[in-house]
Amino acid sequence: MDGKKVKLSLEHISQSYVLNNRAFDAVQDINFDVYDSEFLVLLGPGYCGKTVLLNIISGLEEPVDGTVRLDGEVVKGSDPRIGMVFQKTSLLPWKTVMENVEVGPKMAGVAKEERRKTAQKYIDLVGLQGFEKSYPTQLSGGMKQRVGIARAYTNSPEILLMDEPFGALDAQTRYSMEEEIQKIWQSEKRTIIFVTNNIEEAVYLGDRIVLLTNRPAHVKAIYDIDLPRPRDTVSPEFLRIRKEISDNTDLAL
Amino acid sequence: MSTKNTDIVLSASEQRERRKQILYKILPVVSILLLVALWIAASGGESSSFPSPMDVYDRFLRFMEKPIQKLSLWQHILASLKRVLIALLASWVLGISFGILIGWNKKANALLGPIFTAIRVVPPLAWIPLITIWFGTGEFPKILVVFLGAVMPVVVNTQAGMSNIDQQYLDVGRIFNANKRQMLLDFAIPSALDAIFAGVRTSASAAWMVVLAAEMLGGKSGVGFLITRGMDSGDLPLVLLSMICIGIIGAILAISMQLIERGVCPWTAKKSN
Ligand SMILES: Nc1ncnc2c1ncn2[C@@H]1O[C@H](COP(=O)(O)OP(=O)(O)OP(=O)(O)O)[C@@H](O)[C@H]1O
Ligand SMILES: [Mg+2]
Repeated sequence: MDGKKVKLSLEHISQSYVLNNRAFDAVQDINFDVYDSEFLVLLGPGYCGKTVLLNIISGLEEPVDGTVRLDGEVVKGSDPRIGMVFQKTSLLPWKTVMENVEVGPKMAGVAKEERRKTAQKYIDLVGLQGFEKSYPTQLSGGMKQRVGIARAYTNSPEILLMDEPFGALDAQTRYSMEEEIQKIWQSEKRTIIFVTNNIEEAVYLGDRIVLLTNRPAHVKAIYDIDLPRPRDTVSPEFLRIRKEISDNTDLAL
Repeated sequence: MSTKNTDIVLSASEQRERRKQILYKILPVVSILLLVALWIAASGGESSSFPSPMDVYDRFLRFMEKPIQKLSLWQHILASLKRVLIALLASWVLGISFGILIGWNKKANALLGPIFTAIRVVPPLAWIPLITIWFGTGEFPKILVVFLGAVMPVVVNTQAGMSNIDQQYLDVGRIFNANKRQMLLDFAIPSALDAIFAGVRTSASAAWMVVLAAEMLGGKSGVGFLITRGMDSGDLPLVLLSMICIGIIGAILAISMQLIERGVCPWTAKKSN
């Protein structure tokens, strides 16, 4: 596309598992490019294979077929340039907020003082100052997701995968988190691949939306969303796009 | 629902809650009083051979004046506790290390697991004859028997914890490129601590049970020895006095384990607050 730099490309990604002695396809021949610094939304119905796809991009799983390229080079295994915000938050319950957030640079052997400084920056950015010494069990659902986001950013990845980060939140919290993630993305330009099954959320956040089919997931359509940010969720244009995508979406199984 | 209504409902439920709290404070006291009353009733009557609480208290006072085997009651208790603590420390260090090894490393488990299982099914007391033949009747063989009783639950629980780690925590480790050492120390072991502590708690009560049995079978000190002495000399108040000490110390041990767990795992303590 005109002048945009391809950051990540998925080429013929397929994944299947053996279940009860039968092949079970989760993801089938997925191809798309992700541009540098764009906010890409992966939209798909429940159980269609979204998490499987993110696991493949992040290197947690190896696909049966296909390659992931980052800046043109094949990605093998987990790569520090690719970060992840997990669907289940996956905070480590035995670590405080600060210790959770600094875990990336700690594993990389960054000195304590330096990594704490970075961690503090992102703790402040997600609005959790004052909770550094709290344990995850003492936090609300929204706060846990913020910790997960700060943890991913603190490792300074070039690409951030976010797996339905707001899926478990109530509507009110969800709206404010959507607004915040957009602000963070605008101030800390990174490439984001954001998974959701919520069409409104997809249209509100995405530069582009990759619409996936039911399982086995493959790409059904790709939408460019050219609306100015922050988007007005009740403007006629917003509603039109929302309806267009909704009419084209498979019903969840 | 109007606000007025919810106010009434709230205060009523609050009252109920308060009454419940008071009830839960009273009930344990009631049950202890009931036990003492039963005890007095059971020991009532001139012909009864069962000592009353007063008899036991008298025996306690007499013990304070006249040691048994040159040791005071406290020294007997200390003798048992010393055996238990040495055996427990050894069982934690060795048991947790071994449990981590066979829980985390599949090859080590395939190699050492069967040996451990074979040893585990033999109750610790069954080792006493062999251990006596090998090591005589001194301090070491007693501590060894207690160690055998304590180390089994530590190994079993540690192994279970280490081989059932929630995949999501290991995924976090992999996403942040943890090396093998970090994977074990920063992710696997902390997430197995709950299970490890379950083993540590069980080991404390097991050790306390085994030490008493070991002392009853041979030895000249310890609370288990006191019980045997009381039985052999028909001194029932001494038997009951020892039993009460055993109960109290057992409870103190259990509480200490909880305190240790809170110290080592502050996140679990905060959860229950
Ligand atoms: N390791 C695995 N082994 C077998 N089947 C798997 C495995 N991982 C995922 N699946 C299956 O693949 C399908 C897609 O799973 P996935 O978690 O990617 O769904 P999803 O799109 O993320 O759904 P949700 O919106 O609920 O998070 C599911 O039917 C799931 O059971
Ligand atoms: Mg998912």
